Amino acid sequence: MDSRQKEIDSLKDYKYGFSTDIENTKAPKGLNEDVIKFISNIKKEPQWMLDFRLKAFERFKQLKEPDWQKPKYPKIDYQDLYYYSAPKSMKDKPKSLDDLDPKLLETYKKLGIPLQEQARLNGIAVDAVFDSVSVATTFKEELTKQGIIFCSMSEAIQKHPELVKKYLGSVIPTTDHFFATLNSAVFTDGSFVYIPENVKCPMELSTYFRINASETGQFERTLIIADKGSYVSYLEGCTAPMRDENQLHAANVELIALDDAEIKYSTVQNWYPGDKDGKGGIYNFVTKRGLCKGKNSKISWTQVETGSAITWKYPSCILKGDNSIGEFYSIAITNNHQKADTGTKMIHLGKNTKSKIISKGISAGKSDMMYRGLVDISSKADNSRNFTQCDSLLMGNKCGAHTIPYIKNKNLKSNIEHEATTSKISDEQLYYCNQRGLNQEEAVSLIVNGFCKEVLQQLPMEFAVEAQKLVGISLEGSVG
Amino acid sequence: MLSIENLKAKIDEKEILKGLNLNIKPGEVHAIMGPNGSGKSTLSNILSGKKGYEINGKVTFDGENLLELETEERAHKGIFLAFQYPMEIPGVNTNTFLKTSINAIKKARGEKELDAIEFLKLIKEKSAELKFDEKILNRQLNVGFSGGEKKKNEILQMSILNPKLSILDETDSGLDIDALRIVSEGVNSLRNKNNSFLIITHYQRLLDYIKPDFVHVLKNGQIIKSGDFELAKELEKVGYEDFN
Amino acid sequence: MQNELKLNFDKIISLNNFSDSQKKIKQENFNNYFEKGLPNKRNEDWKFSDINQIISKNFDNLNFIVDQKKFFEEKDFPLDFEHNKISFVDGKLYDFDFKHEDKDKILVDQNLDLDDTIYQNTLLNLNSAFLTSVSKITIKKGYNVKKPLILFNYLSDGLKSSAINSRVDINLEDESSLCLVNFLNENSEKNFINFRQKIKIGENSILKNYNLDSYTSENIKYFNKDINLSKNSHLEYFILSEGSKFIKQDINCNLDDEYGSIALNGIINLENEKHHEIKTVINHKKENCKSYQLIKSVLNDKSKGIYQGKIFVSPEAQKTDGYQLSRALLLNESVEFNAKPELEIYADDVKCSHGSTSGNIDENSIFYLMSRGLSYSESKKLLTNGFLNEVIEKISNEDVKRLVKKLSGINV
Repeated sequence: MDSRQKEIDSLKDYKYGFSTDIENTKAPKGLNEDVIKFISNIKKEPQWMLDFRLKAFERFKQLKEPDWQKPKYPKIDYQDLYYYSAPKSMKDKPKSLDDLDPKLLETYKKLGIPLQEQARLNGIAVDAVFDSVSVATTFKEELTKQGIIFCSMSEAIQKHPELVKKYLGSVIPTTDHFFATLNSAVFTDGSFVYIPENVKCPMELSTYFRINASETGQFERTLIIADKGSYVSYLEGCTAPMRDENQLHAANVELIALDDAEIKYSTVQNWYPGDKDGKGGIYNFVTKRGLCKGKNSKISWTQVETGSAITWKYPSCILKGDNSIGEFYSIAITNNHQKADTGTKMIHLGKNTKSKIISKGISAGKSDMMYRGLVDISSKADNSRNFTQCDSLLMGNKCGAHTIPYIKNKNLKSNIEHEATTSKISDEQLYYCNQRGLNQEEAVSLIVNGFCKEVLQQLPMEFAVEAQKLVGISLEGSVG
Repeated sequence: MLSIENLKAKIDEKEILKGLNLNIKPGEVHAIMGPNGSGKSTLSNILSGKKGYEINGKVTFDGENLLELETEERAHKGIFLAFQYPMEIPGVNTNTFLKTSINAIKKARGEKELDAIEFLKLIKEKSAELKFDEKILNRQLNVGFSGGEKKKNEILQMSILNPKLSILDETDSGLDIDALRIVSEGVNSLRNKNNSFLIITHYQRLLDYIKPDFVHVLKNGQIIKSGDFELAKELEKVGYEDFN
Repeated sequence: MQNELKLNFDKIISLNNFSDSQKKIKQENFNNYFEKGLPNKRNEDWKFSDINQIISKNFDNLNFIVDQKKFFEEKDFPLDFEHNKISFVDGKLYDFDFKHEDKDKILVDQNLDLDDTIYQNTLLNLNSAFLTSVSKITIKKGYNVKKPLILFNYLSDGLKSSAINSRVDINLEDESSLCLVNFLNENSEKNFINFRQKIKIGENSILKNYNLDSYTSENIKYFNKDINLSKNSHLEYFILSEGSKFIKQDINCNLDDEYGSIALNGIINLENEKHHEIKTVINHKKENCKSYQLIKSVLNDKSKGIYQGKIFVSPEAQKTDGYQLSRALLLNESVEFNAKPELEIYADDVKCSHGSTSGNIDENSIFYLMSRGLSYSESKKLLTNGFLNEVIEKISNEDVKRLVKKLSGINV
């Protein structure tokens, strides 16, 4: 039995928990105007960008940290964090991948993300973000041919200021809530995507986030614009090394879909969740919001959230254009002492707008899982529809599942349907699988994957396989 | 192959098996018949390793102490239980389940796992043999299956996994005559000099299709009489009440 | 208003001969209210009904001291069955009649004996601060009350801009049963009514509690209920919510011991600018309890309906069955329906689910009825009545079911 336990323990270890020993350039610790100017300056930003940051910071100083969420955490000292950290070798930006610090390449290889293009067979363009800066964007040339812009946010600010100026902050304004506003003030890098009119992006675009430096907050900013009639599928993956302290990740993601455009945004979040006693781990406080600005536009969020000590996010859709569609597919798994407060908001403003929410929450160990969602159909949104299915699975009776949907309907021509269930994996189901030769872990993984199927199906192929494995791994040791 | 000596089992302080003895050799088909509550299902559950029983006695399978093994380890060794009430597992495709299962067993035995094409070939072949509609394999495991479909699915799984010892726990209950024939044909096609069967049933009718080599009568947790097929006929005539 | 309120409170204290401990409890409750004020929409429980705003919109000033005057007794109340009754005037016990029952099996009493709870809910602070008496009803062990008991609440003639507080404690001892109808007779101008009931259901006992708000009135009401269920007890709870200008029913049920069960059903049927809310919390504390909730709403004109329902399952409450369904029909473009069906579960071997739908009436059904000769409005009426009738049919007491049908006009 001892060897079995050892095996379980080793499996449970966070696979991505190594750190890379690289010299970093950091902004001085703390949060003030000088640090913001430092960030802006090191990135050689134009004045309007600095103004945007300072405006957000002014607002931030007036805001109070929210406390209505279910997972509570010790007070964060915002003056005791580094707001900018970049590998030294990035200071003079490498011109090509060949100039990249080999240690960085090695890191991404360990993560299963080889950056060398020749190593990529599956045609995914990757933008990799290491701590605060974007280190490499692959497949750039091929995309440029079609007029697609896929680059780091810093580069976009330099090269495409008109697009950034027009859209940055248009979905998440600088006056938004506490963490979003903090991000607006101190964001360091992230990805920028623009798909021109009537272009279907030929490959999946992807960003890989990694937090490496300690005592560092990661504040990246992603902006995706799908112009009229265009289509893009975007993937985001995240890891962080194991550290005893909690690290803050407060990203902002803005999506804008114009007439007849479609954006599919998928996340597999596997930040370090802390150890099995709840020490360390990432605070994942992210603001993700999509605006279906044009008619017939569509935004679809898919998320697989297995990591982080605390996950607190609500990827949302504002359905402004008539006939626009918003979707949210989510799998959230918490184990040990992890906590999640996640869900979505679907704001129906345009006529004939439709939204669909499929949420699967799984809690195990001593963890706590919360689905919180809002469906709001305004009086102008005639003939709109929402369907919500919210299922929770509990494993053991030391964990919790909490479902709070807010349902607001002000339109008699519109319909809202909401269903939620809570269940467990029965001993009989496990026994049946055991009898067919599956061990406990395999059986749990199989049953949970079945429970999550509707959401897993939404992921692009390559991600789906990865996600299925992750679902199994994150629950290991939770039953039996 | 399977040897049971003085097997006693309790659940919630209630004694269900009270000293059961049974020997099954390779290639033999044994039937255990008994009234409700005689301990038939308990026996099949104990052989496949269901938890929750307090067990005394000795059970060996190919010379190994069976009682020390986990359920899945027994499956790896070649014990298959066709459930009386197969579980529904929502969202899990029957094909996926079968592939996961067969590869888990192959892996444990150190055999090469099947790839997608080999697997598809195998299930095509087996479902044709059993005249089993393949479409059912694309549905969620047992979800919304009729009673007959569930039982047929168990037999298909049995034929794909090709176990050494198959235990059929009241597989005939709730089956119409056609389904009963298909299930029996499935069992008969697996009969050979290596494979053994333990058929647990209340009624004789399944035994008309699968002729057992031995028939045992289980009553009050003990085998009170053993014989050949004639015993089943006798039992059918007399009934359990008056059978002593 | 604050100064006025303080004067009112001091007057209540000086006019009555409260014990020192009661004075202290009252004072502390009052202080908490005075500090925090009425709840507003920033308070999660009041997210959809901002009582602070509603009160200040409807009253310039509120009088907390009410002199009991003569009152108008409703003669046409459609009671065609034998019943017991207790009358309250302005929240105070007035009269009772148990002619159908064994006299020594039912105790009715009135005193001021508040427990020392200092509430977080400031409406309950107000209630405790201004109460001059608590009415207590006890059903003795083993007694099954034969006829329904109707609690009539009357208000003094011409009463207006007054805050009326009432508190009734009901104790069903073990092995007893009671069918209880709460009814507020409206014949007053606009007042703020703050009623609290605290009910304990003993082991193996049954309470059927029907709460009828059917007469149109300008009153602003808050009803607060705490119900505790002992082992193997059953609660059937029904709400008809259609009369008042504003009403919030705040119902907290605690399944304190094993094998308790609750069936809680309600109707919100509104027109004009009425604003009604039903908020429930069902607390599953022990194993093998069940709760079922069905709330149906029909909203006309500019009305607003809200259902907030929470099922809480503690880690000990294995084998819980919790079910909750809310359905709403929106019949006018100016109506609003908000729902917050909440599950909070800490035990794994449970079956809990909730569902919520809101939307318009099925036009195909209307078309079908019209093709059989009904007018559009008749068809709509028939369909909405059918929709609501499903809830009324769940009432197990036939006399009360008939009464509810008469009061609501829902009869299909």
